[in-house]
Amino acid sequence: MLGDKSAALETLRQQITAIETNPALKDSGDVAIPDGFLATPRGSLHEVFADSLIGAGPALGFAFAQAKSLVDPVRPAILYLQLQSDALETGLPYGLGLKKFGLPAEQVVFVRPQTIIELLWAVEEAIACKAVAAVVADIGHAHKALDFTASRRMSLRTAASGASVFLVRYARDREASAAKFRWKVVPELSRSPAFDERAPGPPRWRVVLEKGSLGKRRRVAPDGEEYLVDWSENGFVLADIESRHGVAAVPRRPALPYAASAALGDRLSEAG
Amino acid sequence: MLHLPRWATDCLKRADPALAQSDKPLVLWEKQRGAMRVAALDQQASAEGLSVGQSLSDARALVPNLETREIDQAFTGQVFADFSDWHSNASPIVSVVADHAPYGDLCLDITGVSHLFSGEQAMLAQLISRLEALGYAVDGAVASTIGAAWALAHFAPGQVLAEGEEGRALSYLPVSALRLDEPQIAGLVQLGLKRIGQLYERDRSSMQARFGASFLLRLDQALGWAEEKLVPRLPLVEHFAEHRFADPIGLMDDVLMCTHDLAVQLSLRLERQGIGAQAFHLFLYRVDHKVMTLSVNAARATRDAGHISRLFAYRAERLGGEYDAGFGIDMIRLAASSMSPLQAAQVGAFGVDDGAATLDHLYDRMASRLGALAVVQSYPVNTHVPERAVKLVPVLAAAAEPEVVAPLVRAPRPLRLLPQPEPINVIAEVPDAPPASMVWRRVTYRFVKASGPERIAAEWRNADQALSLTAETIEAAKTSGGPDGYYEEGTLSRDYYIAEDDGGRRFWLFRLGLLGIARKPRWYMHGFFP
Repeated sequence: MLGDKSAALETLRQQITAIETNPALKDSGDVAIPDGFLATPRGSLHEVFADSLIGAGPALGFAFAQAKSLVDPVRPAILYLQLQSDALETGLPYGLGLKKFGLPAEQVVFVRPQTIIELLWAVEEAIACKAVAAVVADIGHAHKALDFTASRRMSLRTAASGASVFLVRYARDREASAAKFRWKVVPELSRSPAFDERAPGPPRWRVVLEKGSLGKRRRVAPDGEEYLVDWSENGFVLADIESRHGVAAVPRRPALPYAASAALGDRLSEAG
Repeated sequence: MLHLPRWATDCLKRADPALAQSDKPLVLWEKQRGAMRVAALDQQASAEGLSVGQSLSDARALVPNLETREIDQAFTGQVFADFSDWHSNASPIVSVVADHAPYGDLCLDITGVSHLFSGEQAMLAQLISRLEALGYAVDGAVASTIGAAWALAHFAPGQVLAEGEEGRALSYLPVSALRLDEPQIAGLVQLGLKRIGQLYERDRSSMQARFGASFLLRLDQALGWAEEKLVPRLPLVEHFAEHRFADPIGLMDDVLMCTHDLAVQLSLRLERQGIGAQAFHLFLYRVDHKVMTLSVNAARATRDAGHISRLFAYRAERLGGEYDAGFGIDMIRLAASSMSPLQAAQVGAFGVDDGAATLDHLYDRMASRLGALAVVQSYPVNTHVPERAVKLVPVLAAAAEPEVVAPLVRAPRPLRLLPQPEPINVIAEVPDAPPASMVWRRVTYRFVKASGPERIAAEWRNADQALSLTAETIEAAKTSGGPDGYYEEGTLSRDYYIAEDDGGRRFWLFRLGLLGIARKPRWYMHGFFP
């Protein structure tokens, strides 16, 4: 009786050691974080959350920005996956817009499956490829097939292969998932370019790292690390968190005292 | 040449067993010039003395217990086309000779094939007997020209004609054996020219003047003086591997296993010749004369057997419930097309693996499972109209895409573009000011910042299609544009604004039509910025 118990305990212990020594299952804290602002390690599963489908631009922008940082000559490709039905609602990434965003359109391949099962299959198939840097899966709605088991499976595969996966989700409540990092991206009022206070500037996001850690603890918000960043073609720029309300304030004096006429010509910002 | 005189009734009887078992004569009718006329008969009905072209009421009066159906010409022709494809298990070149009727005549080019069936006579007997076993009435003949074979199959079936014998063999057949049309036959008979042999010695120019060039052409084609080409229904394949089964197989797994074996055979053959292929086709010949075709494409030429069979496995997965082996598959053929030279390459010691090959394999696998149109890449187009400035090209076809110099765009572009601009309600301080707020999808957004306008004029050469955006704009273009959608300066121009709302979300909006020119400018929402 006693012998049985100790034998069972021994096998359990062995199992636990096996799990602990498996590199794929290590806690995110043990993974070496690469240098660079907001840089994430290769081969990790991320979830990028936006509150609603209206926030589709910033969340996708953040995912693409992260994916771009993972591209190198050995892993040149980024795959974008979206259900065909979702594209009708939120639109497809626009080739010229991607170029303006700093991502050459020929680097991104769009995969448009019809069902979530096909989408998950495509994600796995893409992870297995040695030349894929990152997979951005844009998932408009919650699906039953995308549960904890599915995310666990993806997380193990990414860790084994070295390609990162970004699941872009649109919801306020969080489901259980095995993702190593969970981000929340909220758009913020942008800093106006010089000489034109009424024009929008480069994208500015408030990025909250709700799960996982980049090592440098910057606990600003109670629910995780929080960064206020601007995106430029060259990468993230940390915007000063303290002054964000000051910059975003309504301009003291409009550029022109009256409503400008379209006849004044092209008022697109000169400063980009 | 195989001739199936009772195809229409036979194929209906095969589809409907109750019809096959009934002993009533079957007649198919169709409406011709307002009257119901007999279009096809079965064996019993013609034994009763009925004939094609008779009116249906006459036929009913003659044979009271007649079974009648309306003929579906399109369906019958389609089934015959599938049926003819199935015959490609006997010969690679099969075509339907539709000169006389859209179905019923099948021509096989058996050059270099007949020895596989131990001779032409034996091959003819074999093809005919296997169709008779399926319950078809069938006649056949072998000759060296299409015209002669047609004539023999219709009027003196069962013969195998040696080359050069056409003139003698055809001379006793009636002139209607030449695939002529009704007025020509009637004219010839009126002149007393009832047999083909009587035409040989006639003066050609006077015959041409009387009956037209097509008459001489048909005569020459039958005698082998003018060449006639078959139009094969399936594209010709030079490289293929095939496997015949003694017992028909049914399971998809068995098919895939066999496909792998065939892929290995095919790749060895391709390797010997130093070529690779980009398209592979799998033909599954079912015992009940149907052919299933599966095709896969590769982004770059390949002969990797493992890759080919994996592509077919994914393709089969997409097939799902559509796969139906019927009574079994007795032959599988794997064919390759789109060949290009592919030399064996040695992996260099200093070469850098850029991953392009593995990526192409990945796209192949995805396209075979999800469909070629589901794996796309965006390509620039030489235009300024935003929704047309980019097109999605399947990755598999991307190599063939010509290089385009797209116009340089300096202004910002959104990260996401809606599939169709959506009409919105916009409030602006003055009509030509940037928007102050909008209602989109029943939600109001208040803008705090905006920049623009960026004016994009319509392309006059596409003015008639420029606005097939939404139902309203099509309507608007009809009323505001000139007659027949002529281009009118200003009505179709767009002013684009980037507007940022109080939550920091940035949208791409445009006003269609210039103020003061367009009768009723409208606002649309077109995309999201990051």
